[in-house]
Amino acid sequence: MTISKKSMKWIPWILILPVVIIRGFTTLYPIIVTLKNSLFDIKVLSGVNEFVGLANYVNVFKDPKVQTSISFTVIFVVVSMVFHVVLGVILALILNMKFKGRRFLRTIVLIPWAMPAVVIGMAAKWGFNNDYGLVNDFIRRFVSDFQYNWLINTSSARAAVIAMDLWKDLPFFAILVLSGLQFISGDIYEAAKVDGANGVQSFFRITLPLILKNVITLCIPFTLWRLTTFDLVYAMTSGGPGEDTSLIAYRITTEAFTNLNVGYASTLAVMLFLVMAVFSFINIKFMNKLAD
Amino acid sequence: MKKKLVSVLLAGVMAVGMLAGCGSSKGSEGEESTGKSEDYDLTLYSINTTDPDFDDWLKNVEDATGLNINVIAAPTDSDTRQQKVTTILSTGDDSVDIIEINDEMSAAFKNSGWLEGLNDTVMTEDVRSQFAQGYLEDMITDKDGNIVGVPGYSGYLAFWVNQEIMDEVGITEIDTKEDFMKYMEAASGDGRYGYGGSWEKTYVFNEIAQFVNMFGGDYFDWTKAENKEAIQFLKDMVDNNQTPIDQIADKYEQMNPKANDGKYGSFFMWGLGTDYEKAGMLGEDKIHMAMVPDFSGKGERAIFTDSWSYVLNSASKNKEAAIKFLQYMADEGGMEASYKAFDRYPARADVAEKVVPDTDPAKEMYSRYASECNVSGRPMLPQTMEFITDMGTIFQSCMKDEISVDEFCEKAQGLVEKYSE
Repeated sequence: MTISKKSMKWIPWILILPVVIIRGFTTLYPIIVTLKNSLFDIKVLSGVNEFVGLANYVNVFKDPKVQTSISFTVIFVVVSMVFHVVLGVILALILNMKFKGRRFLRTIVLIPWAMPAVVIGMAAKWGFNNDYGLVNDFIRRFVSDFQYNWLINTSSARAAVIAMDLWKDLPFFAILVLSGLQFISGDIYEAAKVDGANGVQSFFRITLPLILKNVITLCIPFTLWRLTTFDLVYAMTSGGPGEDTSLIAYRITTEAFTNLNVGYASTLAVMLFLVMAVFSFINIKFMNKLAD
Repeated sequence: MKKKLVSVLLAGVMAVGMLAGCGSSKGSEGEESTGKSEDYDLTLYSINTTDPDFDDWLKNVEDATGLNINVIAAPTDSDTRQQKVTTILSTGDDSVDIIEINDEMSAAFKNSGWLEGLNDTVMTEDVRSQFAQGYLEDMITDKDGNIVGVPGYSGYLAFWVNQEIMDEVGITEIDTKEDFMKYMEAASGDGRYGYGGSWEKTYVFNEIAQFVNMFGGDYFDWTKAENKEAIQFLKDMVDNNQTPIDQIADKYEQMNPKANDGKYGSFFMWGLGTDYEKAGMLGEDKIHMAMVPDFSGKGERAIFTDSWSYVLNSASKNKEAAIKFLQYMADEGGMEASYKAFDRYPARADVAEKVVPDTDPAKEMYSRYASECNVSGRPMLPQTMEFITDMGTIFQSCMKDEISVDEFCEKAQGLVEKYSE
């Protein structure tokens, strides 16, 4: 029996059908339901379920809690990503150097990344405590009467959250940059040295251009992960003091699962989705330009 | 183009994925269950599974009721627990029959129709008359008069003092507002505070409401001068270093070690002092309960009571077994088992009188609280957590000087009106 070319065309589709069905239920369906819910006022506790059109979207711009969340999310993403890139590249360069114990350092540097964010958040809550925290304990070894509770002031609480985010994910970023560094042939550096280039010149003229695309590619998922960070503030600050460290993803979760304002939470999720989609689009455009 | 599509879809999945759990009707994943549900008569969602005596308690209940009980451990984190319970009840999940809920959840759920009324089956007239009537009415009776839960114990937001500090500063009693202020002044200094609390935004409402009550105010009416006086009093304590501003980051797990370390001269706290006992700090000469001071000057003392109640999920398919369980928990045997295993003070006055030995230091103080104080449930509105969090947020702003006391009262009244709608 022979199978005609025409019927062969359908076989791949049949083979991927289970995946398409599963994806349909687990991905497309929630997206469609979330889009629909964003147009409704759904309050589970009071049993309200009314079509309100774009009212939820308008309310987002009037809600001071969301405004605070958006502003901290922007700060969190920008500051964290700048430090990821700068410190990540520096750490990668260090890990790329030849020294005794390099392999050991490369291994242990990934430990924070392997820890769950909730565990890190809970530990950080104690770590930044004025009376019992290791941060102030360390500082008091140099400044004996140092007293400061990091998590009660807006700027220091935000700085602490960003610091913990960096502590956790920076090593992973660095390891990925390191993989890019290892593709650069040593011959290029040799040739540059022969031509009289010093270390700084080699970095800016050889290393940086060759890893730039790698770093920008890494920035896409790392930025998206920052935008959806929730677990760290959930465990570390519960969004406090006040609402000052409520990242937008934490706000969405709170609205959806604590306040049970499902419609409003869906609106926020849709808006976050749009921001992420636009960001990804711009980033890809930029990368394509770079490739050209 | 494909890259773009994949990237955009990925972004969408991440954003929307956070809400993907909303529609689930078969929750409870991730919690530890003791076995397959089909082998059991009912499933209990319990907050006590981490207690070392939990297995003894479970055996007692199973032996007494003849039921084979499947237990699911509720998350220990309060926010996560409330989210899980809300998801189970709101989606009609029938995999759990009996759930333990606190007052916050009770206020949110009692009129939702998610909980079965127990007037005719468990909380019959003779049984319900033995419980604190104010608590039953305020916290676990729905708008149609159905009692929807069985209080698992009776607790007070008790006033605790550190006797070592009192002795050191020469204060023998804290009976009035003036005594309290004298103690604040004498006990504060050198990293120690006369009063300490847990002012994290979801915890602080207990203390705001307690002080408002002590001043004779009304938590639902922020136009009253007494409410403003209470907030001003707390603000003055912060300004005078009699209570630390640091505590706005503290929940009870941060507050209790500080109390044990002698950093606080007094504080309000639930329970019978298990954390102080573990640290060897519980006792008449160390940390102990005291009578709530009379701030009104009229001999009126205010105290809040609370409980965790066993409720029956309306969607349960094992109602007969669940009612049998609840009847036992409302009975002397069930309350005695809880007291012995978990140190939970019996919610029924007649059982407490019989079961709790006179040597238990809580017995005398609890009976004094019941007879000398105005006992009430805490003031809550249906959007409980949203209201509590918003009140906590503006209180923190006030204590940090970001808004004035007048602005706080104005905003608080706005929140009461918003969430009372």
